[in-house]
Amino acid sequence: MGWVPDHTAPAPAIEATGLVKRFHARGGEVEAVSRLSVTVPAGERVAYIGPNGAGKSTSIKILTGILRPTAGDARVLGLVPWRDRRRLAARIGTLFGQRSALWPELTARQSFRMLAGVYGLDRRREDRRVAELGELLGAADLFDDPVRGLSLGQRMRCELAACLLHEPEILFLDEPTIGLDLLAKTRLRELLVHLNETCGTTVFLTSHDVADIEHVAQRVVVINAGRVIFDGDLTALRRDLLAVKRVEVGLESPAVVPDLPGVTVEEHTDTLLRLEVDTARTTIRAVLDHVLDRCAVGDISVLDPPLDQVIAQIYTRGGVR
Amino acid sequence: MRGRRLTAPAGAASRRLLADVAGLVSVSAFYVVVSVVLAGLWRAATAHGPVAGYTGRELTWYIVTAEAATCAINPRLIEEIGDDVVSGAVTVEMLRPAAVGGVRLAVETGRALTRLAVLLPVGAVIGWTAVGPPPDATGALLAVPALALAVAVNVAMQHAVAGISFWLRDTRAAWFLYQKLVFILGGMLLPLEVLPDVLRHVASALPFAAMAYVPARTAAGHVAPGLLLVQAGWLVVFVVAALAVFGAGERRLQEVGT
Repeated sequence: MGWVPDHTAPAPAIEATGLVKRFHARGGEVEAVSRLSVTVPAGERVAYIGPNGAGKSTSIKILTGILRPTAGDARVLGLVPWRDRRRLAARIGTLFGQRSALWPELTARQSFRMLAGVYGLDRRREDRRVAELGELLGAADLFDDPVRGLSLGQRMRCELAACLLHEPEILFLDEPTIGLDLLAKTRLRELLVHLNETCGTTVFLTSHDVADIEHVAQRVVVINAGRVIFDGDLTALRRDLLAVKRVEVGLESPAVVPDLPGVTVEEHTDTLLRLEVDTARTTIRAVLDHVLDRCAVGDISVLDPPLDQVIAQIYTRGGVR
Repeated sequence: MRGRRLTAPAGAASRRLLADVAGLVSVSAFYVVVSVVLAGLWRAATAHGPVAGYTGRELTWYIVTAEAATCAINPRLIEEIGDDVVSGAVTVEMLRPAAVGGVRLAVETGRALTRLAVLLPVGAVIGWTAVGPPPDATGALLAVPALALAVAVNVAMQHAVAGISFWLRDTRAAWFLYQKLVFILGGMLLPLEVLPDVLRHVASALPFAAMAYVPARTAAGHVAPGLLLVQAGWLVVFVVAALAVFGAGERRLQEVGT
């Protein structure tokens, strides 16, 4: 069925329906993307994650126009990516952590000149944008040093400036913090959020770094085996989809380990009892009642499991409950 | 504005080349060695009289010019384009709002013309020191645009040939063959007049002659202004061919990926 525009709602930045991509391989056909559908409203920050081989790169290539799907429809900024690739390229920015848009022998400003030319910016607009980005990214003092002399964190700020030069409406980021130290990662994440909040740029982020997802994304789309297996916010990802909670009990005296279905002991000392509770089998209330009745409790807290653990379990299961 | 899409990458490529001083010194040193050795050989060969209508002085200027035309080109261009197709670098370039082939042609032409601008004064010093001024002032002047055209034709044809990497992936055989054809049929080592009649006619009709022979014979004083028009014709042919091959290659990458 063809794509039918909805004239009553504002056009989403990204709208993909039933995307399929098959590649010919030696053993037959491989379906890298399998009836994938995703919609991203303009101005949203989305983490697009999945294990290696899940179809992330293939679907991003389709959404940026450099790969044509075998079947399905997509509109990015109202354009069909693979048909209007160059027009779309003028309106999106891409930052791949392992590929540089800057030439190492030149200063960032000299590389910006080349990119500005390719993107059709005149000199006046180029100068204005470079000044704005220098201020926005706190990187103006880096623009006149040869890129090869910059640290990785400094270079990534210049790379970000390079992909923002033409004021893209959507930013596709693939592992933007890979290889950066902790401070540089934090700074880049803050910049992405700041950029989204001040300029309204839609952020479409792929990363294996859970902290990138936690600090940047408002929404998480998880894909596996070429299809979306979760689409929601971080809280929902933790709360609803993995019915697992962690209960930490500070003990005033040694206690007996509770014997309840779906409760496993992660750590047990004379002063600490850490439990993982499968809430599909035992409610948190039942666990708390059990512990409070039988133990001398000094402190108790109920926590969501760490995000990396949540994601790892989703990947392992290939889906959510 | 449209022109800036090509002049900006060409200018940046030129600045990038000039920033690599060690690379320029090494190319210049190679150029000096090759030119001095070959010019010396030809002067020895013409000690008892002209060869194929060229005197020793003319052949010295011939070699200095022919070597400048070929040393100005990245010698592994075809192979590097092939590597970029396979590694996905070309795919990333498809994320820009410009034809990949067009930008690449601009970048390589900017780089090659800058290298040529560095080699020209070096060559002039070699020629002048060895045999005095060029044999013909008009030829010397016309040799400059002929060299620029030679470099541009070579860059464009290498892009057209390297485009096969979108289908075949391994371009090393094509690069090897191309290089040898420029050596022999392009007149890089010897004027085409030295070749047997049949081979000379074949070589004259092929584009390789536009890459070294035409500027070299012009600098040597064997001026034929019409040959610059032939160069311009080959340039149009190979720019169109390179753009067409890259355009088809981009469409193929859209279908099959990298």
